[in-house]
Amino acid sequence: MKNILEIKNLTKYYGKVLAVKDLSLELKPGEIFGFIGPNGAGKSTTIRSIMNLINKTKGEVYFLGETLTKNNLKLKEQIGYLPSEISLYEELTVKEMLDYHESFYKKDLSKRRKELVKKLKLDETKKIEDLSLGNQKKLGIVLALMHEPKLLILDEPTSGLDPIMQQVFYDLLKEEKEKGTTIFYSTHILSEISKICDRVGIIKEGTLLKVESIKELQAKNLTNVTITSKEIDKIGKELNVKVEKIDSETIKFKNTLASNELIKILSKYEIKKLLIEEPSLEDVFLHYYK
Amino acid sequence: MFKREYKYNFKSFLIWTTITLGIFLIVYLMYPSIVSSDNIKMIDEMMKVFPPEMLKAFNMDIASMNSAYGWLKSEGFVFVLLIIGCYAGILGANILLKEENDKTVEYLNSLPIKRTSIVLNKVLVGLINITLLVLLLGIFNYIGLTLSGDFDIKQFILLSITPLFPALVLFFTCLFISTFTHKTKKTLGISLGIVLISYILQTLSTIAEPVEFLKYFSAFTLADIRNVIMNVSINPFMIIITIILSLMFLSLTIIHYNKKELV
Repeated sequence: MKNILEIKNLTKYYGKVLAVKDLSLELKPGEIFGFIGPNGAGKSTTIRSIMNLINKTKGEVYFLGETLTKNNLKLKEQIGYLPSEISLYEELTVKEMLDYHESFYKKDLSKRRKELVKKLKLDETKKIEDLSLGNQKKLGIVLALMHEPKLLILDEPTSGLDPIMQQVFYDLLKEEKEKGTTIFYSTHILSEISKICDRVGIIKEGTLLKVESIKELQAKNLTNVTITSKEIDKIGKELNVKVEKIDSETIKFKNTLASNELIKILSKYEIKKLLIEEPSLEDVFLHYYK
Repeated sequence: MFKREYKYNFKSFLIWTTITLGIFLIVYLMYPSIVSSDNIKMIDEMMKVFPPEMLKAFNMDIASMNSAYGWLKSEGFVFVLLIIGCYAGILGANILLKEENDKTVEYLNSLPIKRTSIVLNKVLVGLINITLLVLLLGIFNYIGLTLSGDFDIKQFILLSITPLFPALVLFFTCLFISTFTHKTKKTLGISLGIVLISYILQTLSTIAEPVEFLKYFSAFTLADIRNVIMNVSINPFMIIITIILSLMFLSLTIIHYNKKELV
């Protein structure tokens, strides 16, 4: 199947500082592609290069087979973009902002607009300057989705949203995916990636380290495990992994065993306390790519 | 886009218009008492003390202060030129840059609109507001002068148009300069500096002959008020230069803005 978005050899220098190095990736139609990396890894620079907000030092971006330039309006009409920190016209009300957005598109957006406003519980009479950070984000989501784009570019979209709204947002993304929308989802939250994405690209210090499907990533089953038990030495021996001793009864280790296998081993012993944590991004990087 | 932009800039336009008209209202209210008293003779006597170059710089050698119209042709037009010039400069420096300063540019850039269209929409708002300010001030002065005595209507109409020329050049110059930065704070000082330095250069070029060449570096030379007062006509050369300079800075703005990194 033809790729929706192709980034070829993207390189970006800010002066002498390298922000993104020779990055290439493809997005398939209808997939949610997670783009993950710590702060300063080059995620926003990549997105801003795609959106032509900044000039690429090298490389090309193709959307629907055509070069995506800043003046290609036909292509821009089919992109929805949500920046990480959304800034809108504070003097406008939500309704005026949505009307303003609508005025740039030739098609009728009123139906989708109504649906989104209702789902995200936005008050159209409020002024943007009076909206909380979360409500501004919700408005940003409506603006990114209301013209029913073929490609959605989302930069840290859930920051500022409460857990209920996060769930509403994930449901919205699933709906979009069912409709065939391709989603480029940038985040530094690992749990979001495993929840909604099909594939993931990991970026570190401007370099795309790896592109993997979520299934592949989950198969590796990396977790941080802390166990407290009187029989801690025996447990450590049986697990046969490199452990960090916290105190005489507690160990901590990076687990790569399948959950069933881990539980089977632990069930033989009396466990005082068991803590299984999601690894930090840094853990994932260190574990897989050091 | 035009509608929102106009609505947004209308507030500052109203403030500038109110202040400008307020200043002139005070003059028109005060002038009848000045003219009818003995003070006017004292003012005329005082004028003789000033060196001819100084009087020339403020057109006092060709306009008497013994009427409101006389005042307008001399001191009054210093205010008109400076106020409209400052407004045009500040507007030019802010109108495009505000999107970057307020970080709304990231949203604006994601919309299906060319950067050239963004510039042109904003320029149109700027041009309308500057022209409206010149027009409203002209109408206000016409009413004020009609109530204050006789005056040459043709000369007055031509005089009222002249501030438009330096204002347009200042607007486009500041607009172009604004494409080199991301923060309005930086350009506010620069734009006001350009307007004031431009005025000083024009004044100096009138006062001292050895530095007459400085007039070529001042936008206010384009107002050419002395010629309008003396010959009751606008030199077409000034109109041509205004159009050439405005188009040149507009083109440079579009070229540079299209290449600019917006965040």
